Amino acid sequence: MRPQPADASQRRRVLLLAAGAFFLMAMVWQHVQATRLGYRVEKVRQQILAMRCANGALRMQLESQLSPANLSLQARTHLGMSLASPESLRSLDGPASAARTGLLQRLISRARRALSGTSPA
Amino acid sequence: MDLHARLAAVAGLCLLPLLPLGVRLTHLQVLQGSELRSRVAGEVLRTTTESFPRAEIRDRRGRLMAQSVPFWSCFAERSRLRDRPAVARELGRALGMPEDEVLRRLQDPARFPVVKEDLKPEELSALSAARLDDKRLMEYGVGVQLRYRRFYPNGDLARGVLGLVGTDQDGLAGLELTFASRLKGQPRRLAYVRDGSGRSIYLDAQSPAELPRPLRITIDRDIQFHAEEVLRQTDRQFRAQGGMIVVLDPETSEILAMAADPADPLRNVMIQDTYEPGSTFKTVTAAAALNEGLVKESETFFCENGSYAIAPGVVISDHEPAGTLTLQGILEKSSNIGAAKVGERVGAMRFYRYSRAFGFDIKTGVALPGETAGEMKPLTGLTRVVLAASSYGYGIGVSALQMANAYNALAGGGVLHEPAIACDAPEDAAGEAPCRRPTAVRRVVSEATARTLSRMLEGVVESGTGLTARIPGYRIAGKTGTARKLDRRTGKYSTTSYLASFVGFLPLSRPRWTILVVIDEPQGQYYGAQVAAPVFAALGRRLLAMAGVPPDQPAAVAASRP
Repeated sequence: MRPQPADASQRRRVLLLAAGAFFLMAMVWQHVQATRLGYRVEKVRQQILAMRCANGALRMQLESQLSPANLSLQARTHLGMSLASPESLRSLDGPASAARTGLLQRLISRARRALSGTSPA
Repeated sequence: MDLHARLAAVAGLCLLPLLPLGVRLTHLQVLQGSELRSRVAGEVLRTTTESFPRAEIRDRRGRLMAQSVPFWSCFAERSRLRDRPAVARELGRALGMPEDEVLRRLQDPARFPVVKEDLKPEELSALSAARLDDKRLMEYGVGVQLRYRRFYPNGDLARGVLGLVGTDQDGLAGLELTFASRLKGQPRRLAYVRDGSGRSIYLDAQSPAELPRPLRITIDRDIQFHAEEVLRQTDRQFRAQGGMIVVLDPETSEILAMAADPADPLRNVMIQDTYEPGSTFKTVTAAAALNEGLVKESETFFCENGSYAIAPGVVISDHEPAGTLTLQGILEKSSNIGAAKVGERVGAMRFYRYSRAFGFDIKTGVALPGETAGEMKPLTGLTRVVLAASSYGYGIGVSALQMANAYNALAGGGVLHEPAIACDAPEDAAGEAPCRRPTAVRRVVSEATARTLSRMLEGVVESGTGLTARIPGYRIAGKTGTARKLDRRTGKYSTTSYLASFVGFLPLSRPRWTILVVIDEPQGQYYGAQVAAPVFAALGRRLLAMAGVPPDQPAAVAASRP
């Protein structure tokens, strides 16, 4: 059975009204969401700023600890270190005898000499 | 009446109240729309500028030298403050402060008295909860503001170079002033609406942000630290008025350290002040004589056994009487008479030309504010007596940077470069490589002359007045200087106030550093050889060990070992 023309136009009207209402609802929903998001963005902005403040303060502490004056003080007073002098430099590609002062190094050197059959200079 | 008609009538009756509403809406939206929109925009739409923290300053290896740290500050607006006791009560509760203290601060005569700085997150929340945040600013005249504080993590290290900023984060001196606009960046404009409860909703950025990028400078934090430390120790040891150390890279003329004691962030004495260099200037006279072929290395000058009457009533004397000396001998013994005679040979015109060629009486062009050009007599003023005095560094004023840069030209093979303080390369390229392409100003002397002169200056350290600058195992070229200070009260040279200096470069086989040391008014000992040269050696030893530079004279280091 085919639908009557009057029924079809009525259904179209209802559909149009429903679509219009839906569109209006969507607009309202979108506006509410945008406002809510705006508040959230502002809140997050404030949080970021607060974190940046905290981060800045922490970084300030860290950098102060790493300053050469503080490191030097810590090294001298707590670790008993002293400044290196140029005389303490040893060239690794030069004669290795100066560096072979440990027990293990001396044993290795002696073993090598014994294997190669040379006597110490 | 059929069903349709009845339904239509009911619907019409239901919709009838909406008709005036529709008419009113049309009136508001269409007829008054534009006017109302502009009114609303004026009332709720606002714009604000969002500024960024001032850019960081980093050293040549990317280590932090200056940084802006944000903090929240609670303030009041005097003209809007109402009911101060009530405000003090609420603020005291929110900020954990005694009510009397808040009241005292609110009564500060400033336009915007600060109630508390460095607010903690919980204090900010407490302020919001107390409804004393922005919403009530209009009502109570109290608000919070994000501010920035410039922080120098290394304390006073290189403060004369870095300078300082004011409370509004504008550069006042030093690099902070020279690079003020680059460090500050461009704030962006933001549009926002404010609702009935005072809360903000940000809409869009109206202008793009220009985030300031960190500024990398040529200073090496470690070298700067060592320079400042040895300088402080020396000033204490000799109870000196002050002192300066400049360290340059001979290849590029990059400033590696600029130390002054006492440190003053508002004043960089190494470029803003001049001093009479004394004997360190003899090298310029010798360079002119050698480069022009006016003096041969083997040629000798009679040094009048320590006293030379150059004009009636004008006597030049040497600290150590000498007979006949070669040019090398003149430099090694630091003979004023010998230098004056060499200066006579050079002549006023050439002396003036070479002095300017070495960068004296001209600004070096370093990117630091308030640089002096120095003081030098004009060519017409270089009479016989003035020329003689200038030949050994009296009657002229030079800045510490000018003097260091002149010796740097010799260390670099005779080419004068523009001293650099800011790097070209981006911040993330920090490393060992030169951070700036060297800018050659001019060739001052030939490479051969620079080599010869360097050898003569090596003689000064090996067997002359600069013995105390020696570092076993390393070849060093340098020159001592001891200048009497001009007594401004009497207008005559003082017999008690001296300026001791030493300038040189090391290691000579491949110069890595040019170091200038100036000690102002040392007490007890005052010769450059006694006061400044040991500082050069102390700093040189630290730099050599730090950089791991092997000896370029290994026999000497072996001989010096017990």
